[in-house]
Amino acid sequence: MSDCQGLGDCDDARMQRIYEYLDGALTREDIAEIKDHLDSCPECLEQYDLECVIRVMVKRSCTEAAPENLKNSILDRIHSIRTVEA
Amino acid sequence: MSTMDPAVAAMHEVAGNDATPTKTPDAGTSGSPERPAVQISPMQVPADGPAALETEVDGKPLDVSTESAEERRVRFERDAMQYVDQLYSAAMRMARNPSDAEDLVQEAYTKAFSAFHQYKPGTNLKAWLYRILTNTYINLYRKRQREPLQSNSDTIEDWQLARAESHTSSGLRSAEAEALDHLPDSDVKRALQSIPEEFRLAVYFADVEGFAYKEISDIMNTPIGTVMSRLHRGRKMLRDMLADYAAERGFRAATESGAAADSNKQENRK
Repeated sequence: MSDCQGLGDCDDARMQRIYEYLDGALTREDIAEIKDHLDSCPECLEQYDLECVIRVMVKRSCTEAAPENLKNSILDRIHSIRTVEA
Repeated sequence: MSTMDPAVAAMHEVAGNDATPTKTPDAGTSGSPERPAVQISPMQVPADGPAALETEVDGKPLDVSTESAEERRVRFERDAMQYVDQLYSAAMRMARNPSDAEDLVQEAYTKAFSAFHQYKPGTNLKAWLYRILTNTYINLYRKRQREPLQSNSDTIEDWQLARAESHTSSGLRSAEAEALDHLPDSDVKRALQSIPEEFRLAVYFADVEGFAYKEISDIMNTPIGTVMSRLHRGRKMLRDMLADYAAERGFRAATESGAAADSNKQENRK
């Protein structure tokens, strides 16, 4: 278990704070507080780092280009139904 | 308003506008760790770049009520079609194969076009499209899928949750971050695919698309609290899964064996 309780009294609470911090879901005061804590706590910083690495990995891995023809298929379909709209 | 705006503003102050993801430095080992600020935080990316222009056509303010069908089609193509790649990436996390993902995106765009008069210009178009995509998936595809979803919350195995809950993250070291970072993209996709669907999609919407909790709650039609708990559990599952893959691949990852890993490396070099 975590030794540091600076971001919460258990691992779950700590991770939740780190998630909210990275998710931009906190107030300015909370952000400053967490930033200060991370500056001084290697233990929490490691968790933060790991989460950052995972997010970058996920983003990198899941960014795919649609097949060439998909856009055209969509446009074709939209053009074919526009008469209904008009 | 929520607390979101000041938070986002603060993020901008902290990190500037550079949204380029940077590799995280190995922070645990140096005396004064250099944190990668919050560059990777999706929230610092300003909502949708072109949003301001959505309310204009040819430099004139848009009036939806007097817009012709043809004008609306042009506007749809201008504003909505730019998200095809992104919706396709999301559809791949839903439908699991390229052909179904294409169908899904095409169906979603067709619906979006038909309902485009209901979309309020200047509001979050991308989130609106994602909601249609998600609904289309739930209504059309998920019902159709006959194969048992290993990723349906009804069928989450107890051990899987228990494992996620009991995981002690303090066992992870920055050596692990290093190890995870070496995993191929296919492993990351496989790990995501193997976590239950609603957790997977929540994580995808937050971490890849950078949607705020409120936006995800609109897209998935669930309360914000549910979104947050899905994110929390989903991220833990993902982290555990990735750690397992790293271990399987023989990357010296996990726990207290950083020293052992170093000595192994030494051994191998001899």
